[in-house]
Amino acid sequence: MTRKLFLPSIFIILAYGFWISPDFKEIAAGVAIFLFGMLALEEGFKAFTGGVLEKLLRQTTNKLWKSLCFGVVSTSVMQSSSLVSVITISFLSAGLISLTAGVGIIFGANLGTTTGAWLLAGFGLKIDIAAYAMPMLVFGIILVFQKARHLKGYGCILSGLGALFLGIHFMKEGFESFKGSFDLAAYAVSGYPGVLLFALIGVIATVVMQSSHATLVLIITALAAQQITYENALGLAIGANIGTTITAIIGSLSANVDGRRLAGAHLIFNAVTAAVAIGFIYQLTGAVDTISGWVGIASDNYTLKLAVFHSIFNGLGIVLMLPMLTPMVRLLQRVIKPRTRTAAEARYLNSANIGLPDTAVEAVRKETLRLYDNASEVIAEGLSLHLPDILSASSIEDTVARSRKPVSLDMNERYESNVKQLYGKIVEFISNSHSTMSPSQSDELFALRAAGRDIIESIKDTKHLHKNLSRYLTSENENIRQEYDQIRANLANVLRQLDAVRRQGHDSAAILSLDSIKIAMKQYDRDLEVRLSALMRDRLISAPMSISLMNDSGYAYGVTKNLVKMGEVLFSTGESQLREVERSVSLDEGELEELLPKPVISTARRTDETP
Amino acid sequence: MKLRKLLEKAEALLVPKERKRKAQKKNLKHVLKKLRQQEKSLLKRLETEPSKSKSAKIKEQAALAHAQRQKGLQALQSLQQPSPD
Repeated sequence: MTRKLFLPSIFIILAYGFWISPDFKEIAAGVAIFLFGMLALEEGFKAFTGGVLEKLLRQTTNKLWKSLCFGVVSTSVMQSSSLVSVITISFLSAGLISLTAGVGIIFGANLGTTTGAWLLAGFGLKIDIAAYAMPMLVFGIILVFQKARHLKGYGCILSGLGALFLGIHFMKEGFESFKGSFDLAAYAVSGYPGVLLFALIGVIATVVMQSSHATLVLIITALAAQQITYENALGLAIGANIGTTITAIIGSLSANVDGRRLAGAHLIFNAVTAAVAIGFIYQLTGAVDTISGWVGIASDNYTLKLAVFHSIFNGLGIVLMLPMLTPMVRLLQRVIKPRTRTAAEARYLNSANIGLPDTAVEAVRKETLRLYDNASEVIAEGLSLHLPDILSASSIEDTVARSRKPVSLDMNERYESNVKQLYGKIVEFISNSHSTMSPSQSDELFALRAAGRDIIESIKDTKHLHKNLSRYLTSENENIRQEYDQIRANLANVLRQLDAVRRQGHDSAAILSLDSIKIAMKQYDRDLEVRLSALMRDRLISAPMSISLMNDSGYAYGVTKNLVKMGEVLFSTGESQLREVERSVSLDEGELEELLPKPVISTARRTDETP
Repeated sequence: MKLRKLLEKAEALLVPKERKRKAQKKNLKHVLKKLRQQEKSLLKRLETEPSKSKSAKIKEQAALAHAQRQKGLQALQSLQQPSPD
């Protein structure tokens, strides 16, 4: 209800304000253009997130100081802490960085936002920035209409900066003319009540505008026009810092557990810093005066002094909170617990990743690996085996011989609940995200989607296999039992080998060893033909049994083929060019045939012979 | 740096096809190195393996790595000469 009333109330208040004051209209338009500029800027930087930003983030988050520096530098360059937060949340949800690294980036981003205040107070108010805004907008928009993605990106950045400048200009003009008709400074409140009241106003303004940066610009322009007092401006700046965390918390409600923990860390950081700043406001203003004196800022240059305050205040937060970082992360992990998830629930697919191509590809890869984990359990049980036994060090033949009891399993139900639903989510995510990708990234996503389909196919083949396998597992005819045990052992071996390749990671030779499974598969197929003829000739198995065996060996062949195909895509995690080379070295059908041992005419394995 | 090397570097930087060829060559060399290491380690294991069935398996794996390496070496040879156009 409150949410429904919120938007109309804002509209009514703004409309009333526009009606009574044209100057207020100008200021509000300035804020709107500024916010539009920030959106364009974010969009522009997103055009470059197809690799560069992600690679940089990956390389600069292995140490805390690097995470901090990344937060400071990226926010200073992009002038948007929210874009940095979104990327950080995406990386966290895709499991690419740790929560500690994420918190480090957020701490750094807080300090990075202060550069905006410096730029505006130092240059923005002194020069006629509207004169720069116009050409920027014109050139920017021309570039936006270009087809090339990077040119579009430059266009968005340029027009975004132009809109930022124009917005600041309108705010400046608005406050200047406002001064003649109305004196907001008359409403100044001094002392602690003033700081608290204006901090609250700062919180509200930031929540409404969804940007602490816009609030800060508004504060500085109002301060320059002497519409607010320096003391109240400090309160507003503190409030803006708290307000920005509320925006982050609202944004993280739909995020996964790590996103919520990160928002929690952001809140703790800003709340503690704000509490300290309010508590020691007079000591801090004293420090601002001293530092301003050192760097040659005039005592009546309140806008620059506000920038100094903003930097000291956020820097103090880092100094205070950095030693507490590890306990804070532990506390957040204890307090904000992950929901118990079903196997079908996606863990890495987050809508925040959609705009970040490399992260989206990584998230799909991790989720498809989960799909494989779910599927391999179903496949193992379909063979009346248990996955931990297959993946243990014990001999596969012994494991198969020991597991004589058919596992009662509703394969349809397991497929629907654990595999199909998750695959559906992966496919949906891929469809939503591939529009923002480069051709090579799209290819990679499609390859991963095909790997998921191979997993589904292998489950379907296991489902067909399961029926006869359960029947012949306890058959009195030892010959047919042995044949089905051979199929179980072969497939268990495939699962074990795939697991070994997966654990070896991007080792090229490991991926190429998957060819040995293909050879074994072909060898088995050829041997079975010979054995089957002998078994039938000697009447050791009945005709229906032989048909079942032929069909089921075909299904087993399908399971193996699909799993190997899947493994070649899913377990190969190197650079795309390296993967391409690996594929070129992998042997084709004819080359694999050449490696097969020459056929040996053998008789059927009889029950009285040693197998 | 010699002029020829300098020119080669400039060519690799400016011609996309050449850049791709150089990258392919580098990756192929990396894969071949890994395959050689794998083949060597398999042959070493073969010397000490007492079980006949396991020895046969190792032999198969070594033969596979060898065949893949031969295929890779041929590809590398064709990459050694820059394309005529």
